[in-house]
Amino acid sequence: MASFGLGKMSDFLLPTLSRKRDVDCIIRDTLDKVLVLRFGRAADPLCPHFDEILSKTSREVSKFATIALVDVDSEEIQVYVKYFDITLIPSTVFFFNAHHMKMDSGTADHTKWVGSFHSKQDLIDVVEAIFRGAMKGKLIVSCPLPPERIPRFQLLFKDV
Amino acid sequence: MASLADSFLADLDELSDNEAHPDDEDLDAAAMEEDVDGDMPDIETLNYDDLDSVSKLQKTQRYNDIMQKVDDALEKGTDISSHGIVLEDDPEYQLIVDCNALSVDIENEIIIIHNFIRDKYRLKFPELESLVHHPIDYARVVKKIGNEVDLTLVDLDGLLPSAIIMVVSVTASTTSGKPLSEESLQKTIDACDRALALDLAKKKVLDFVESRMGYIAPNLSAIAGTAVAAKLMGTAGGLSALAKMPACNVQLLGSKKKTLAGFSTATSQFRVGYLEQTEIFQSTPPSLRTRACRLLAAKSTLAARVDSIRGDPTGKTGRDLREEIRKKIEKWQEPPPAKQPKPLPVPDSEPKKKRGGRRLRKMKERYAVTDMRKLANRMQFGVPEESSLGDGLGEGYGMLGQAGSGKLRVSLAQSKLASKVAKRFKEKQYGSSGATSGLTSSLAFTPVQGIELSNPQAHGNQLGSGIQSTYFSETGTFSKIKRM
Repeated sequence: MASFGLGKMSDFLLPTLSRKRDVDCIIRDTLDKVLVLRFGRAADPLCPHFDEILSKTSREVSKFATIALVDVDSEEIQVYVKYFDITLIPSTVFFFNAHHMKMDSGTADHTKWVGSFHSKQDLIDVVEAIFRGAMKGKLIVSCPLPPERIPRFQLLFKDV
Repeated sequence: MASLADSFLADLDELSDNEAHPDDEDLDAAAMEEDVDGDMPDIETLNYDDLDSVSKLQKTQRYNDIMQKVDDALEKGTDISSHGIVLEDDPEYQLIVDCNALSVDIENEIIIIHNFIRDKYRLKFPELESLVHHPIDYARVVKKIGNEVDLTLVDLDGLLPSAIIMVVSVTASTTSGKPLSEESLQKTIDACDRALALDLAKKKVLDFVESRMGYIAPNLSAIAGTAVAAKLMGTAGGLSALAKMPACNVQLLGSKKKTLAGFSTATSQFRVGYLEQTEIFQSTPPSLRTRACRLLAAKSTLAARVDSIRGDPTGKTGRDLREEIRKKIEKWQEPPPAKQPKPLPVPDSEPKKKRGGRRLRKMKERYAVTDMRKLANRMQFGVPEESSLGDGLGEGYGMLGQAGSGKLRVSLAQSKLASKVAKRFKEKQYGSSGATSGLTSSLAFTPVQGIELSNPQAHGNQLGSGIQSTYFSETGTFSKIKRM
């Protein structure tokens, strides 16, 4: 079942999902709100930092977004990992009313957001852009952040 | 209680009686006229030389009877045996009622004696009455000082607070009074003794009432405590009198008037009377005391009303009210709930508040499309337009300046706002000619080196709007001239 992660003073408790059924439920049940699904694992150095940003903003955006964490190491979740082609950790996928929302942030991959955010405000801006686009009926939106604030990842091919 | 007129007549009768009667303060003297009621007797009709003409209470039969009964009852101890259902028939209840009335009368009597002492002692030490307000304290001080001129020989230690003692000693050294004659001194000391005796009697009566208080007024005692309840009842003059008072009066029953002695009133406490001595009041933090006092007064008035009709002899109502008071005071002391940060509102959910009105319209006028631009935007059919760089390059002029367009010249349309600004600007510039503000003269020097007579009536219209202040206006004049 969904377990609740440890949180600090000012955050909501972010649900961590490890079963396919939970992920399906949450995608289906979040209505008229952006669903932010973070695919990651606890061991990764970037993940806890990212998770903290997520949990701190979860209350602020709670009126138009829901945030959830998905454990990428669980077996049931591998279906999704393959479907979304998740290779870099952490990756975030956005949904709105069970539609997958794409965002053009200047990188090659529009289907997901790779990496963490530099600050809470960046995350809020991105989620708001997705929300506005979705309310207008778009399925792809452009990223409001300037290129400096978008974390870039070097794609290492077999550790080269 | 005798009316004022009757008391005057009685005093006149007394004058003749008193010559034969020896002035002794024996408690077992024969019955005489009823005591004077609380109003201040007229100075002219009273014979101030004799104490007995002023104070008669101790000689009345009523006083002696009641004091006797009180003494008996106090000796009997607390007797809470079963009484009849109808309390009014109970002799002890009647005694309590009498005691209440008597305590009020004693109070009035003390005031009268105080006036007497004060008038006599005024010759010796006039400032003392303004320094020591309380009648009993005054009587004690007078007795202690006597005819003494040097106050350092007199020890006032237990009688007054030390600050007041200091002020009294200082004032005494510079007083304008003279020592009294032996006879008037004796009379004054007698009066003091009588006042103190009355005070003692009152205390005894109050003690008795207090011991029976739990039986008489259980609800009121449950809230305020028996001592305070007895005092309240005594001052009010009975349980029904207390019940009839509004709560704001109950709050002030027994409040002392503070002696200032030159100290400022900025730190003086709010007005609260006997209720200050209740344990509920004492246990509330000082910041909540005003509210607590008001609450206490209200609930104790309710309890007194219940008691006056014997609605609840068990005292349960009083205990419930007390619990209510306690809960309320605790609630006031709760810290406010912690503030949680609000989540952000949904984007685009709240429509932007569009303002309207004259100001906005004027603002928009500055960016509105002018007639010139409108003409330039349109074209005539079949007629090529002129352009700024010629030959179709540059900006097109459209209908502007074309023959046959129906307009000879397009001038900049004067908006209403611009015209007003222009007029005001013109007045300012050419009207004052650099003179200081204040009245403008009807003569002015224009840049054309002429003299321009401006119509002084024109200024009247300027000020007619009434929005602008004319105080600092350079074009302003007197707004109202009254003919003397």
